[in-house]
Amino acid sequence: MRKGALKKKQRQLEELHLDRREALGELVLGMFVQGSWDEAIMSRGAAEVREVAEELDALAAPPAPPVDSGEHDLAPTGEHTAEHSMPETGEHTGTHIIPGPGMPDTAEHTQEHAVPAATPAVTEPGPKKPEAGKTGSDSPAATAESAPPKAGTPKPDSGKPRTPKPDTGKESSAKAVAAAAAAASTPPAPGKPETPKPPASVAVEGKAEAEPQPKLSELDLLEEKIGKSESQARTAAEAAKASTAADSRTELSAITREIEADRTKLTSTLSTASARIADAEKRADAAEAKLARESAANREAAAGWVRSQAAEIEADAALAAEIAADPDGSPDSGADAGPRQAELEARIRTLETSLEAEKASKIEALTIAESRLKAIEESAREAEKRVEEAEASLSEAGTAPVPVEAAPGIVTEAEAREAAVVWLRGQISALRQEISKGEASDKKGGT
Amino acid sequence: MGLFGGGKQSGRERRAMKDHLVELDELRRKQLRDLGAMTVEMAEAGRFDRERLSEQAREVVGIDREADLIARGLEEGLTLEELEDLARSDDEPATDPGK
Repeated sequence: MRKGALKKKQRQLEELHLDRREALGELVLGMFVQGSWDEAIMSRGAAEVREVAEELDALAAPPAPPVDSGEHDLAPTGEHTAEHSMPETGEHTGTHIIPGPGMPDTAEHTQEHAVPAATPAVTEPGPKKPEAGKTGSDSPAATAESAPPKAGTPKPDSGKPRTPKPDTGKESSAKAVAAAAAAASTPPAPGKPETPKPPASVAVEGKAEAEPQPKLSELDLLEEKIGKSESQARTAAEAAKASTAADSRTELSAITREIEADRTKLTSTLSTASARIADAEKRADAAEAKLARESAANREAAAGWVRSQAAEIEADAALAAEIAADPDGSPDSGADAGPRQAELEARIRTLETSLEAEKASKIEALTIAESRLKAIEESAREAEKRVEEAEASLSEAGTAPVPVEAAPGIVTEAEAREAAVVWLRGQISALRQEISKGEASDKKGGT
Repeated sequence: MGLFGGGKQSGRERRAMKDHLVELDELRRKQLRDLGAMTVEMAEAGRFDRERLSEQAREVVGIDREADLIARGLEEGLTLEELEDLARSDDEPATDPGK
């Protein structure tokens, strides 16, 4: 595989790994929120994550040297197979004849042969070691090609076992070995994810590998190889399926988030629009109320103005009437001009009536007094005539003495009549003075 | 309309809330990945420690709650002070569904 493609693949795997971790976290979060823990589901999710992690580790591992398969430089202690005692030159695999105490002298053998048949502890196919894949190869070229494993692809050529990642510092070598051992020790049951195994079992298996291996027939080896290939293919297919499912979940969650965001945005837009509509309606109501108030105020102001104009006109009319009725009087102004004017007019009318009546009575009295005066003057003149006749008769009889007793009587009656005339004349002059006085006062009040 | 609305949210406050929402989203994803990694470790060990898982999940729930609050502030146009008051009023003892 080209380096660029390798990097791309690695990047994709890293993203897939992160997505799966996140999905597993969501899963656990959901369990926490609902309060129902399901360890089986958690284990399955963890297996999926670990699967991708292993593929990623396998991809990140440096490729093996092209010629040497690498098994020859192992330390004297630790894990090793029967190949370590092979000659130093040339490629070699497990097909070389390895003289060992428990090994048959036949041709091909794998590391599984290290487990003695008599050992009851390991009955199933032995753990896959990194070297195990090479033991089944027949040619050096095939050995060299098996170094970069195909990770995460369902291709059947990935049937070669993954080489465990050397100690890169990310995780310990023990963990890597444990992961490899767990992957290898899983029975090739279809559709079942790998289950973790404690590292202790690895140690046991590592010890067992050092044991001499029995020889198997080529057919068995081929069958075993095919079985391994099938198992790897199934694992890869499951990984691809899980990857697709995780991708689908991720995409679904992204779409869900987008929909939620759009819905939130739409809701906020709708609420904003409704708030604006309500605000506009409020403003319209306020404007209508203001218009109504202004119209009412204008009508009231117009009515007030009309009323004031009418009052002014009435006042002007009253003033004009007052002026017309009493040109010499002082003009009154204001609201009480009307009643006061009427009162004054009534009073004037009363005064004029009483004045007329008084004048008429005085004129009547004067007329009576004048007629009486005339009568008195007539009687006084008659009395004077009689007195002159008496004096003339007395002078004719001059020679004869006139009795004195009769004379005082005649004088007394004349004097009484004279006194009455004088009194009447005084009364008439007094009446005339009064009448003249009343006329003068009337003239003064009119001015 | 929301509970508040007395003041007016400024553009700076709105930007700050949006930025914080993005930060919270990143933080949430990181916490979820950590939770997933923790679950993987526990699965490898063969034993799930629910206390630790609950503790980690509680942090994610706290982030979700804060994100909801910020989203509500953005939606209703609340100021930072109003948002703080709202957070205090909502700061009641959290229910622990994991237990």
